[in-house]
Amino acid sequence: MTSTTTTVTAESSLVPVHTTGWRGGLANLVRKELGQWWGTRMWWIQTLIWVVLLNGVATVVMLEGAGMPAGEVVTEAVQTFLLMGAMTIGIGVVLTIQGAVVGEKELGTAAWVMSKPVSRASFVLGKLIGYSVGFLATALVIPSTVFVVQAQFLLPVPLDYGRFALAVGIIALSVLFYVVLTIGLGCMFKGRGPVAGIGIGLVLVGQFFKGMLPLPLVMATPWLLGDVAGSFALATTPDFNRMVPIIVTTTAAVALVYLAIWRFQREEF
Amino acid sequence: MQTKVVQNQSDPAAQAPSVQDTVIHTVGLTKTFGHVNALQGIDLTVPRNSIVGFLGPNGSGKTTAIKLLLGLSRPTAGKATLFGMDSIQESLAIRSRVGYLAQDPRFYTHMTARETLEFTARFFYSGPAEAIQARIDETLELVGLADKADRPTKGFSGGERQRLGIAQAQVNYPDLLILDEPAAALDPVGRRDVLDVMERLRAYTTIFYSTHILDDVERVSDYVAILDHGRMVASSPTATLLDGDSTTYELTVRGDEQAVLRALRTHSWVSNIATASQNGSTALTISVTDEGAAETDLLRSVIATDDIVVTAFGRKHFNLEDVFLQLVKEPRE
Repeated sequence: MTSTTTTVTAESSLVPVHTTGWRGGLANLVRKELGQWWGTRMWWIQTLIWVVLLNGVATVVMLEGAGMPAGEVVTEAVQTFLLMGAMTIGIGVVLTIQGAVVGEKELGTAAWVMSKPVSRASFVLGKLIGYSVGFLATALVIPSTVFVVQAQFLLPVPLDYGRFALAVGIIALSVLFYVVLTIGLGCMFKGRGPVAGIGIGLVLVGQFFKGMLPLPLVMATPWLLGDVAGSFALATTPDFNRMVPIIVTTTAAVALVYLAIWRFQREEF
Repeated sequence: MQTKVVQNQSDPAAQAPSVQDTVIHTVGLTKTFGHVNALQGIDLTVPRNSIVGFLGPNGSGKTTAIKLLLGLSRPTAGKATLFGMDSIQESLAIRSRVGYLAQDPRFYTHMTARETLEFTARFFYSGPAEAIQARIDETLELVGLADKADRPTKGFSGGERQRLGIAQAQVNYPDLLILDEPAAALDPVGRRDVLDVMERLRAYTTIFYSTHILDDVERVSDYVAILDHGRMVASSPTATLLDGDSTTYELTVRGDEQAVLRALRTHSWVSNIATASQNGSTALTISVTDEGAAETDLLRSVIATDDIVVTAFGRKHFNLEDVFLQLVKEPRE
């Protein structure tokens, strides 16, 4: 440390932050979370992973369907893209975010941040906003845009872009659900094990066992959102009310946000 | 012996703090983890613009107490107020006026030192950007990290993290600095620098810091609070603590030691005399039961003795290590 005399900035020249209550510190935390995505190599690594995975598989399906009827190729490519997206992005979200809250609690950065004028709700919401924006952009919006470009060149008939956008919106709901779930589990547990285990378990159980479970039960989960998205994109009618999974997932996500904040407010550092 | 004196001074009612003059005030602050009583009814008062050393052996509850003050943890019983505000109900308002350095400070590793300070400053100030940057620059300069400002904190050593921790703690001109072991990870030069910074900040802020480096406390602290096994065993101005009680005096004489002893024993209020001879001088440690009588008559009666030269006389002065060891030893015994 230096003992040389430095010019001291007058405190009066600084404009104090007046945000209080549950939004205290939120803007700064969101800025920090977004900076972690877009100010580091994280964004292009995530983008690369999802474009290679989702668009790579979609390319293979489009090329292999060259001899098939036009409608079948489109159906195959769109369903593969949406169903794969719903499942793999869910797993990717859990794997990437499992330490977002738990890691900060373990390392001590959460305690450090909470020693500043920051509300507990802001800490949780900052993570939710940051990771949601990051995943939606890199794992969904960019690959979906690439898919549209691919479709123009490789599919024999054009896509209905409006329907496809609606379908992507349904997958976005699925992504948001898993972001909220993983952050929520991080607020509830002290270790990464339960967070990753429950999160990935939920995705995989839904993917592999949803056909064996009673439909009313499956409808009350986010597991059918891939099918719902496919039905919107291809203008088909599934054998279930497709609004039920949408409403249930939205309600569950909102409830999980409240639960996560409630639990984090009781956290002791 | 000292314990009794200082414990009397830790009585919150006796100190009668006013909100304007008091930054931290706790009453019966208690924290229990399962069956472990981490803090047992802490009464503490920290006056404005003072430097208070918070001492205690490892595991005595210092960090727990600090976390309660910051609202990072909830008390099981009792209450803490900072600036007259409740540590739980008004925690956000309190934290807007506090700077905190954790015992093992950790930061986001993808951020540089400058970005870490900007992130911290943005919780307190919305702009202007130039003024914030100027504040960050001078803070980096203050802690000697100007040349490492744009390095990610991932590669920082423990000492560098500590310096950055001190920087971020005072970037917002806090009214209260709470530092948990601020010099623990620093080399002797860094330790001296931290103490210099604390002394420079004394005029603007109140500093409450935990440490186990007793020399540091003796050098810069106005007040000392000592915690042991979750109990406050002393809370007092440093000078008072080091003066010890007023019932023990030290006297050094040359000459007829027996004559001095005879003279002292004529007083009914002299309860005990211990002697040690070295190089022709005799050091006497005299315990008395009547402070007033001792103040007026003790030295006078010794000087009146023939063939005696008094080379030193005064109230027994303790160093902090003596006091600390005695205070934290007694309950164990």
